Amino acid sequence: MTLLTEVMNHPLDPGYAEAARARELGTRGRPTVPGRTVALLLAAALGLVTVVAVQSLRAPSPSIVEARNVLQQQITERQDRADALSRSIATTSAEVNALQSQALAEQSPSLLATVQDDTVASGAVAVSGPGITVTVADASDAVADDGTVDPDRRVQDSDLQNVVNALWAAGAEAVAINGQRLTSTTAIRSAGSAILVDFVGLASPYHVQAIGDPDTLRSTFAASNAADQLKVLGESYGLESSVATEKHLDLDGGGPSTLQYAKPLG
Amino acid sequence: MIAFVGLVIGVVAGLVLQPTVPVSLQPYLPIAVVAALDALFGGLRAKLDGMFDDRVFLVSFLSNVVVAALIVFLGDQLGVGSQLSTAVVVVLGIRIFSNAAAIRRHIFKA
Repeated sequence: MTLLTEVMNHPLDPGYAEAARARELGTRGRPTVPGRTVALLLAAALGLVTVVAVQSLRAPSPSIVEARNVLQQQITERQDRADALSRSIATTSAEVNALQSQALAEQSPSLLATVQDDTVASGAVAVSGPGITVTVADASDAVADDGTVDPDRRVQDSDLQNVVNALWAAGAEAVAINGQRLTSTTAIRSAGSAILVDFVGLASPYHVQAIGDPDTLRSTFAASNAADQLKVLGESYGLESSVATEKHLDLDGGGPSTLQYAKPLG
Repeated sequence: MIAFVGLVIGVVAGLVLQPTVPVSLQPYLPIAVVAALDALFGGLRAKLDGMFDDRVFLVSFLSNVVVAALIVFLGDQLGVGSQLSTAVVVVLGIRIFSNAAAIRRHIFKA
């Protein structure tokens, strides 16, 4: 406690009082020219050091900024590349489809019909039609003010799986989540805090679009376990969900799925 | 007086030249700045008390910065760097507060 009392009661350096006393008594010599020069230089050096210290403390570390920039650049580059590749996949698969239809139309029209039915059913090509949209969203307070995330108040992959299963069970012919068409090889799963549909990360709100007879879809979905579950989730955890009837839905194709190991029998 | 002139020259030089600090000195900067603040407030208070002295000001400034850096260096070597930094900041912080209060009383008479 003595130390703190000392610091509190005598914050001024005792040297000042001593120097003042010495000046009064006249025991202190007049400052000499070299002495003043040294004082000036020393003061300048101290000011310089202090300012430099303050400046370098305020500036963000250049290596961190640089690393961040490099990462940002890489992200945008890769994203551009992925976008360009997916565009080229879309055009190429459209070309393939057109050529296939052309070739088949001449040789075997019945086979063409089968192929077209199969690609629609497997989700490879874009389709349109009437249907319903089920929207599920995280609770509005899922992310607290301090940035912490309450995982219980967010939509989980299993919630979306249940909704999609209920829609299939209700007679949906094509389903997409936030524009990601569900194909025969699509998985809905979570990776960390994100939900991946066909390896594409999606964010809340999740719009599950299903093409089918709107009335049947709506009534069957409303009677399903998934709808009950959404209601419970809404009451207990604040998840928001709604169902809307759509006169016309356009669902993108999922693209041709490439099977590397599976071979047709016979 | 000459000390303040020198300080201003140094500050301007630092702002103009913008030299970079070697990485090895980086850990000592925060404590050095707090020590410098303490010396500055002490000097200002002494000025208002009519007791300012160039030599005392410069010596206290220099010794503050050097001792603060030395304490952090020793603390780092002993593995208690952050605790010692806290101790230095607490002591210097109390002094800065007390001196700032004295300066306030001088200026506002309250």
